[in-house]
Amino acid sequence: MLDFLFFTGLALYFAAMVLTLVGMVFKKEKISSLGWYVFLAGAALETAYLVYRGIVAGRLPLSNQFEFAASFSWGIAVILIFLHYRFHLEWIESAGMMMNFLIISYAALQPREVTDLMPALRSAWFGFHIGSAAFSYASFMLAGAAGIRYLIAVKKDPEDERLEQMDYFIYRLIALGLLLLTVTILTGAIWAEEAWSSFWTWDPKEVWALITWILYAIYLHLRLGRKKTGTAMAWYAVIAVPVVLFTFIGVNTLLPGLHSYGALVRDILL
Amino acid sequence: MEKVWKYLKSMKFGLILLGLICAVSVIGSLIPQNAEPMTYVRAYPNHYGLIFSLQLDHVFTSWYFILLTVLLCLNLAMCSLVRFHGISHDDTEEIERATGVPSVEKTDPDTLDQIREYLRRKHCKETVKGNVSVYSKNSFGRNGTFLTHLGILLTVVFWSLAMYLPRIIDRTCMPGESIILDDGTKIAVSDFAITDAAGRLDYKSVINIILPDGRESGEREVSVNHPVSMGQYKVFQQTYGTRGAILVRDKEGHEDRFYVDTNDFLSKDGVNGVLYDNVYPDFTEENGEMSLVTSTSGRYENPVYVYIEVEEGKQKDVMLAFPGDKTEIGDLEFEFLKPVEYPGLRIKQSPKFINILLLLSFLVMTAGLYITFFMAPVIVTVDEEGYTVLGSKPEGMRYELKQIVRSRKENIHA
Repeated sequence: MLDFLFFTGLALYFAAMVLTLVGMVFKKEKISSLGWYVFLAGAALETAYLVYRGIVAGRLPLSNQFEFAASFSWGIAVILIFLHYRFHLEWIESAGMMMNFLIISYAALQPREVTDLMPALRSAWFGFHIGSAAFSYASFMLAGAAGIRYLIAVKKDPEDERLEQMDYFIYRLIALGLLLLTVTILTGAIWAEEAWSSFWTWDPKEVWALITWILYAIYLHLRLGRKKTGTAMAWYAVIAVPVVLFTFIGVNTLLPGLHSYGALVRDILL
Repeated sequence: MEKVWKYLKSMKFGLILLGLICAVSVIGSLIPQNAEPMTYVRAYPNHYGLIFSLQLDHVFTSWYFILLTVLLCLNLAMCSLVRFHGISHDDTEEIERATGVPSVEKTDPDTLDQIREYLRRKHCKETVKGNVSVYSKNSFGRNGTFLTHLGILLTVVFWSLAMYLPRIIDRTCMPGESIILDDGTKIAVSDFAITDAAGRLDYKSVINIILPDGRESGEREVSVNHPVSMGQYKVFQQTYGTRGAILVRDKEGHEDRFYVDTNDFLSKDGVNGVLYDNVYPDFTEENGEMSLVTSTSGRYENPVYVYIEVEEGKQKDVMLAFPGDKTEIGDLEFEFLKPVEYPGLRIKQSPKFINILLLLSFLVMTAGLYITFFMAPVIVTVDEEGYTVLGSKPEGMRYELKQIVRSRKENIHA
């Protein structure tokens, strides 16, 4: 049942992405609109999947690489839906759905078995720390998606009246992402002090979270302090996406540390 | 000198510092930190000299990283000072000034009515002077960047203090024994288990902290994520191990229990006894051959002792024993007991106020970011011909008002 929900959701996300892209390329609004409803169905299934998995596991589904990736993709879907209904940002949908599909495809490649929460993760901070990280990354990914759309739009028509809006939403998504990443880092620090006796251990995950934070802090200084807008800043948002992905995937895979929960408990944690 | 100060407090300098910290951090994450020197010699046979001379084996405590952090603190302190003037700033003057600003975005009266309605809906304060209405809100928002910079500065300072001031003591202790610290504080460990009541892995010690003045914590459970505090001490469940236990009896019936480590020799006369090698958590048996299991989840399901009998100073065969087994060598009887799990505790001694100040810094920083991004100060003037959004900060408001004008135009067009 769990796998059925997950893979049907993934298939619907794929179909939605294709329909939206076709609708955008051939300027067929009806196809784009159908794509959106298929995306909503995919999001509904993913929500049901995460809720069901949470009930089966008896905890929030955020404990390993698969669960985090699934929640990360769900975070992208939730923000995308919010942007659609609150601000009517249709232009972000195609690129946003691609980002979402990228993450959920990565999730599909990970082991999916439901496991017991290891002692280090049994904490009140578990949901705050990892949940805010999922939404923070989702926000940065969508800022990258908005950046891609900006670059396409400015190439097609430098006078496109949506450019200002795109530029503004790249900034807003990065601001939201940075605030959530700050919450992630600070709650992580408080949690680390409880679990490992130190607020900060220069563990690779911590270091790369800090690097990501600094990267986006520089963006915001340039945007707010130096009034930099336009193509250069859109490129910035796009180029920063691989850093976010490295912080999430690369660090866990290539740079083992205290956050490598795939490793043996005794070797790593205790 | 003035130029130097100006540069030190500039955003450009701050951004350069952030970029450098970023670059150094990347290096620090790629090269293993604080390992033994030989690790670098083996891993980087051609570059270890460079690694040592540039302190790349401990980037985050290197002189240049500390210098970058100090300079960043200086920059943050100056940025905070520059922004401090806004903290007591009243927006009355700005509103007064705004009434004299002519409208920039010209539009029709119906759209202006919609804009007024929208601004009221957004809880903007309305000040009318003549034919100009000034709508304002979030005047506190101008303190956002001040609070953010101050919060980051305090966080860096208290974070550094919280990281480098505490004294850390790592000790292991067998259940039933105590750790005595050099100031006389005693940490008595009465019990330790690696599973909870439901059989799930969970590492729990029962401890009692007794301070030199006699105050004590009482028996408390310390586990991962749940340290126990008393006075300046905080005790963490850090690690654990398992040791073999052997009961030794002599002919007179005297007995002693020993927790043994590899190569411990248990003997009365120094020539007859048991030379302990190891205890393994489990074993497998196939075709009559027994293999010892060296790694498990941590539980010792079917422990097996490996030891050597020593008689008259000569080592005999390697022997295996299970808990409950007994052997007699010389005048002594050796009984192999169930292996005992013991905790490794981390004892952290630090003044509590630093942690409290650090947590306050976290709050200031997060609040500052929230206010900066989501409570930008808004001042909008509306007269008979159009409206003006003052300042560059309220981009959201500017965007929303443009949307109103645009959708109104589209409606008229339709």
